[in-house]
Amino acid sequence: MSKSSRLLQNIILVVFALYALTPVYLVFLASVRSEADLFSSPLTLSWPVNLTNFGRVWTDAGFGTYFLNSVITAVSVTVLVLLTAPLAGFAFAKMRFAGREVLFGLFLAGLVVPAPSIIVALYGNLQGMGMIDTRWGVILPQAALLMPFSVFMMRTVMQDVPNELIEASLMDGAGFFHLFMTVVLPVVRPGLMSLVLIVFLFAWQEYLLPLVVLQTDNLKPLTVGAASLQGRYGVDYGGIAAAGLIAFAPLVVLFLAMQRSFVRGLTAGAVK
Amino acid sequence: MLTTRAAYLFILPALTLYLVFVGLPILQVIGFSLFDWDNGAMGEFIGLANYRRMLGDQVFWTALWHNGLWVLLTLAFPLIAGLVLAAILAERNQRLVQWLGAIYFIPRTIPLVVAGIIWGWIYNPIFGLMNYGLETIGLGGLAGAWMAQESTALLSLNVVGAWTFFGFCVVIYLAAIQSIDPSFYEAAEIDGASWWRRFKDLTVPLLRGSSLFLGLYAAIEAMRFFDLVWVTTQGGPGYATEVLTTHIYKTFFLVGDFGYAATLSVVLLIIVLSISAGAFAILREP
Repeated sequence: MSKSSRLLQNIILVVFALYALTPVYLVFLASVRSEADLFSSPLTLSWPVNLTNFGRVWTDAGFGTYFLNSVITAVSVTVLVLLTAPLAGFAFAKMRFAGREVLFGLFLAGLVVPAPSIIVALYGNLQGMGMIDTRWGVILPQAALLMPFSVFMMRTVMQDVPNELIEASLMDGAGFFHLFMTVVLPVVRPGLMSLVLIVFLFAWQEYLLPLVVLQTDNLKPLTVGAASLQGRYGVDYGGIAAAGLIAFAPLVVLFLAMQRSFVRGLTAGAVK
Repeated sequence: MLTTRAAYLFILPALTLYLVFVGLPILQVIGFSLFDWDNGAMGEFIGLANYRRMLGDQVFWTALWHNGLWVLLTLAFPLIAGLVLAAILAERNQRLVQWLGAIYFIPRTIPLVVAGIIWGWIYNPIFGLMNYGLETIGLGGLAGAWMAQESTALLSLNVVGAWTFFGFCVVIYLAAIQSIDPSFYEAAEIDGASWWRRFKDLTVPLLRGSSLFLGLYAAIEAMRFFDLVWVTTQGGPGYATEVLTTHIYKTFFLVGDFGYAATLSVVLLIIVLSISAGAFAILREP
């Protein structure tokens, strides 16, 4: 390859890296600056870093509580999906029964259903079930909306379980549930890990459901908290930056630490 | 393959949750759209009157046009950027691929609400980095109130959308490139084909499947997105960034017109389900 085209390629790679990272860097920068030097030399990090913004939003603006709520909601949704989707995925991948295609088609259709398109009915239903302004009112619909993707992904994962393995243990007289728990789950552990990460990510990022379902401030997650902070604290840029960082830093760290599992999960179904 | 009734028990928990919180509301929304509503109480059956009303609703057509434009913009920028980046990275060493792949992907992990807030600052007409950068390189004349003026609002938002999406495209394309038989490239190398020729004649055609998948994925996402608009412009200024989801949200929560909000929801559902049905039909073919 000629030198000039190699240079051009490198420039493209770097420009997009800057595109990806600059906004993240700016938030980090604004979050560790005091109000006074927020607008002085816009792009350099002043030392020592100032952590008062974090203290302020964590305690005064309630981001400690919002953080806890995001953890509770995202973990609950993940557990709920983990308890249900692998079982269904296994049935669709390895068992034969009447109506299999129809039932799977039902899940497939749900892959693309946008939350805003069902909220008109869902809201009233949640009201009827007494779930407005409760954690369950967010957790259950959220898990249900993520179910099609999860079942689809689990089916793909379960298809790789060797049939001989299943038949051998059934020959030994094991029941299906016992087989699932002791033979299947250990084999698909990497797939389960991917599922956990993706569902956790999506649940943490969710905005519309908690926005409309929750009214009590003490129940709201980080996404709703950060969005409302923008209106309330209009000019407290350091505070908003710290809040934003609290809202996304756990996800970035989780992604960087578990990159392989993440990517495997996100490309499941795309590459096959 | 096992033949069993236990299968139903295995599927039951997932199916129940799904039907109660997604399936049932879909059916209800279809029903709601056929009735007249007064203050949240169902009135008389009016057939397709809500749909007729929709045909004359300028905001609906504007919103739909913006969704369509969003699809085109996504195909034009992040998708092609992802393809080029993946093709460049495919010939570099594994460490660099790992690093840059991760960097490009980071914006995807950031909640769209937070992405909207961050970019709101960058676009801020007074202290934002965008105008600051333009002035620094002597293009101060191009500075503007990016998200606050009708001419640039939707495009500015799309740059944010692209920011969260191009890394995903890189990852998908890289995975696909790695499954291409290397002998194709070796043969091209021996023939002395330039990088551009290899990209145009080998990579692009061989990645057709992935491009199709990403294009359809982008189209569905373009119909579904809500968070980004709601936290930044709420559809404004005027109706400059109105999309179907924000139109539904406003019609339901702000106007309180249940029947018409349900009608818009049904149309949104029909559109995304058609795209996905088309996607499965196309992607299933070898």
